[in-house]
Amino acid sequence: MSEGTLFEPPGPRGRRRNRAFEIVTWTVLAGIALVAMRKADQGGLFDAAAWQPFAQPGVWRQLGLGLLNNLRAAIVAMALSMVFGCFLGWGLLSKRAVVRKACRAFTDVFNGIPVLLLLFFISLELPAWGLDLPDFWFLVIALTLYSTAVVGDLVRAGVSAVPRGEGEAAAALGFSELQTMWLILLPQALRLMSPALVSQMVIVLKGTTLAFVLGGYFDLLRAATVLGTFYSRSSLQALAIAAIVFMLINIALSQVAAAIDRKEKERYGVEPVALGE
Amino acid sequence: MSFLVPHLGELAWGVAFTFGLVALGWIGATILGTVLAIMRVSPVPTVRVVAAAYILVFRNTPIAVQMVLFAFGLPILGIEFSLFTSAVIVLVMYHAAFVCETLRSGVNAVAVGEIEASRSLGFGPFGTIRHIVLPQAFATVVQPMGNVLILLVKNTSVAAIVGVAELTFTADKIAIEEVKAFVVFGGAAIAYVVICVVLKRLVAVLDRKVAFSK
Repeated sequence: MSEGTLFEPPGPRGRRRNRAFEIVTWTVLAGIALVAMRKADQGGLFDAAAWQPFAQPGVWRQLGLGLLNNLRAAIVAMALSMVFGCFLGWGLLSKRAVVRKACRAFTDVFNGIPVLLLLFFISLELPAWGLDLPDFWFLVIALTLYSTAVVGDLVRAGVSAVPRGEGEAAAALGFSELQTMWLILLPQALRLMSPALVSQMVIVLKGTTLAFVLGGYFDLLRAATVLGTFYSRSSLQALAIAAIVFMLINIALSQVAAAIDRKEKERYGVEPVALGE
Repeated sequence: MSFLVPHLGELAWGVAFTFGLVALGWIGATILGTVLAIMRVSPVPTVRVVAAAYILVFRNTPIAVQMVLFAFGLPILGIEFSLFTSAVIVLVMYHAAFVCETLRSGVNAVAVGEIEASRSLGFGPFGTIRHIVLPQAFATVVQPMGNVLILLVKNTSVAAIVGVAELTFTADKIAIEEVKAFVVFGGAAIAYVVICVVLKRLVAVLDRKVAFSK
């Protein structure tokens, strides 16, 4: 009962009442739309002059470059955090209490620190240590640290969700601990985790917009504000376009995650591991 | 540590602003999220669609973009709030979508028999939601709600990008002034981690408290 209403089909009176609600909702929506449109019109949102810059392909190229930078950072950070996350997850399942505790501390700390704070910290501290990287890497490092903590916990949950017999069978067949993890447990865990990993990709992509504070990294949000300073009448339009583009990409990714989730349940009849957010 | 002394006032304000953002954001997000969750299971199709559309838009737009759009974009249209108010409004709107989705999973966990029993006892749809479904839904989602709260705590830092002087912003300012990034950010990070750990503990206690009502 994930979609739709909690209730039985309405009778005659219920239908009348629902129709009344329907009319009220439409009226309220129309009212809000009307007020918003008038405000927007007064503010010049629909002025042809404000949309003029968007007739130039160069403007779109800049916005596209910005988006490409977001995607690039998100993909690199996600790939890195999946690699490190596997190790972290392995550490979280370790038989040695010291390793387990250390990994647990890592996840707790990097799950608790805002990515923005990490970003500020890394962009100020790494140059002081003589690591003068481009802003791209500051962003990637901050996102990777955070995302590794999340993916690590996911891997732990995923591996724990693989039936016990799998690991025992592997041990009985003479696989070493590393082989069991790499050949038997991780592949199955990754399959269980795939919807959650795609959802994590959405979170990382949303996180790349924090590069706004670096000033030196030309992401889509930065591109939109820069555009706004060149064409001061178009700044709201540029920001709105950026918001819509991000929204569409994230909706598409969320749909992919939901589709994988459904497939998994259909094909294997198992509940995939969920993201704790 | 003596370099911190002239900044103590600032730091205290930064922490206070962060707590203010968290408190106001959480109250607002819980109320709006609950309303949205009720709308999401309403028998009226349009009401359901409106809530679904809200969630689609606000969940999928990065909070940094929403923050910049709200604080720097809307004033062009003559809609202007103070930076702090804008930050609170954006935090409420963004996290309400998450609260709604979390609460809805709790609503789905309520047994169908409960709803049927309540209908046959004469509760209307709203009465059923209000007296039967929501209390049980809230009790089942205490832990996931706690995760949303922690997400909110971390996202209050995004208010720094529009210049609200909360903890992250203050830490950055002091770190640049004093050229002591490690100590200052380390302290701020510890503060965030402590807040998150304390909240997690409180949520676990609350979860045990309400366990019997599930």
